[in-house]
Amino acid sequence: MSPDRSPLNRAPLGADLVIPALALGFAIYFFFSIADLAWEAKANGVLIGVVLIALIAVQLVRLGIRLARGEGDLRADPLWQPRDALWKRIGMVALTVVFIAALPWLGLTLTLLLAMLAALRVMGVRKLSTLLWVSSGVAAAAYLLFIATLESAFPHGPIERLLAALFT
Amino acid sequence: MTWDLLLDLFAAQFGLWWVILPGILLGIVVGILPGFSPQNTLIMLLPLTLAVPVEQAFAFMVALYCANHLSGGVPAILVRIPGSGGAAATTLDGYPMTQKGQAQQALVLSFVASVFGGLITTLATLALLPWLSQIGLVLRSVEMVVVLLFGLTLIAVIAAKDTLKGLIAGFFGLLIGVIGTDHIYNAPRATFGFLELYDGVPIVAALIGLFAVSEALVMIEEKLIVAAEGRERAMRSNWSETLEGLRISLQKWWHIVWTAFVGLLIGVVPGAGASIAAFVAYQQSRMWSKHPELYGTGIPEGVIAPESANNGVTSGTLVPMMALGVPGGTTSAVMMIVLQYHGMVMGPQLFTTSPGLAYGVFVSMAVAYVFMIFTILPLARYMSRIVLIETTYLAPIIILVTIVAAFSERQYLFDMGLALVFGVIGYIAHKTNYHVTAMLIGIILGPLFERYLVRALRISEGDLMVLFSSTLGNTLWGLLVLSLALPFWRTWRQRKALAAERFGNES
Repeated sequence: MSPDRSPLNRAPLGADLVIPALALGFAIYFFFSIADLAWEAKANGVLIGVVLIALIAVQLVRLGIRLARGEGDLRADPLWQPRDALWKRIGMVALTVVFIAALPWLGLTLTLLLAMLAALRVMGVRKLSTLLWVSSGVAAAAYLLFIATLESAFPHGPIERLLAALFT
Repeated sequence: MTWDLLLDLFAAQFGLWWVILPGILLGIVVGILPGFSPQNTLIMLLPLTLAVPVEQAFAFMVALYCANHLSGGVPAILVRIPGSGGAAATTLDGYPMTQKGQAQQALVLSFVASVFGGLITTLATLALLPWLSQIGLVLRSVEMVVVLLFGLTLIAVIAAKDTLKGLIAGFFGLLIGVIGTDHIYNAPRATFGFLELYDGVPIVAALIGLFAVSEALVMIEEKLIVAAEGRERAMRSNWSETLEGLRISLQKWWHIVWTAFVGLLIGVVPGAGASIAAFVAYQQSRMWSKHPELYGTGIPEGVIAPESANNGVTSGTLVPMMALGVPGGTTSAVMMIVLQYHGMVMGPQLFTTSPGLAYGVFVSMAVAYVFMIFTILPLARYMSRIVLIETTYLAPIIILVTIVAAFSERQYLFDMGLALVFGVIGYIAHKTNYHVTAMLIGIILGPLFERYLVRALRISEGDLMVLFSSTLGNTLWGLLVLSLALPFWRTWRQRKALAAERFGNES
């Protein structure tokens, strides 16, 4: 019996191409960046890069054969499915970018508190007391560990300055 | 070394319980939190360790170091986020056990294997120290290149279901590991114009991104980490799960012993480290198993082998430092600084000038392991409860807190952004089965691989054939080719058997 090759039963091979494409792009950039260097500085990169490109070529041939046989198509569904989780994921990544960008101005504790509030909302938590309790708990723990105990070089904001004024 | 000296050392080390216990507790916390390495913690505590007598300082550092190796497996089992590279192999069977509702049992297996693996190899190191110290001398740069490639290949073959995808991920990681300036001319390579990448890719940011952030992005799909069929078991787990874990560990005592020795032998090689040891032990365990097909589905042997091996490494790593004066890793380098500050000269003479201290280090390690089992075993029941927290809360906490932890290694905000980038790459890799473990190990081994390769090539004035110039190296090349060919041969045999079976049914 021949395998079912209807569009719905084809493997979404497009997703399988993303990592090889990233790796290939990086290898090419790597080769450009080392073009003018002495052989000692580029020997390792060339050796690894050549092997990497050869492996990617084999993978492309393998995927090409599957496409030609009609076993798959260029959809990349695994990356965005299930749909209801996709927006949460995009929300979490966007929020993390804003969190890192705001950190130098608002300091660790306040930024983390606000980011946790927003992140829990994105994830679907609606109860105000839970939102406040979890967010302030995480922010307080981070303050105690990173600022008070380890004295890490995190940017200080209004909360850190206020607590420093109170306890010194 | 006499029995009297040994007994005196054991008695003295047990007397230092008040130093060892805080070291263990701190080591457990540092090991559980991705982003906190034992070497950074020891560096932060240098003012303390330099101020106290050397015996107390060393007992504390060794306890922290061993506990750190042990507890790295906790997040690996519970949320598939290894606390350190050495625990990456533990995710392969530890996390599936959690999904089946057996998190508590998996933790107990991991603790018992770690403690007994560490204890046995420490005692063995005490007895075999003069011979073990020679292993590091046999391996030169040529052999080390093959050892590292062999390790990476094994990881790619084991971790990924598809060998080719595993190899692509591994070599992609290896190339990322080369980012930064080279060792000889300090010329920047592939830094995208960022000064922060001149020192290379920070391992902590890569670990957090590839494992923690990507895993949190994946777990959003489910309400709980534990699969529906395992939830009831996880919810009503009690002390009997701990006892069951203990029973299985005792039943598999031989497995703990031999995989710990794999760790010890690899630990003695400077730079090879716990990540390679854990994967080699896992691969060997699967190879000699009667049911290799069950590995990766959540079986006790898949947790015992890597955990026992990565704790077998602890004593092995200290061998080159004590016997040759060459630190086997970053943590042992920090320890060496403390010893040198106290006027100790590392190397063979240490065993004649200060035998109490030289052997005392390993006795201290053995005593720390004894204390550890009583400290951590009762905690398994409570630690396993974390998997019952809904991902609605768990995912944001993991993403934001671990991104914050990415800052801790070098104190650059840039590293937090880098962890997020690795998180997105790791998410894509997760979803398409390009294994993130192979990628991470590649990043870890990248700089080390370059150092040995360039050294070998400089000796041969750029001739690549130097890599095939030693008998030991060529034997390792042969094993490497064999480990690559074996999976393909197995698949071919399975297909042939399947075809024969089908043909038999049709006729």
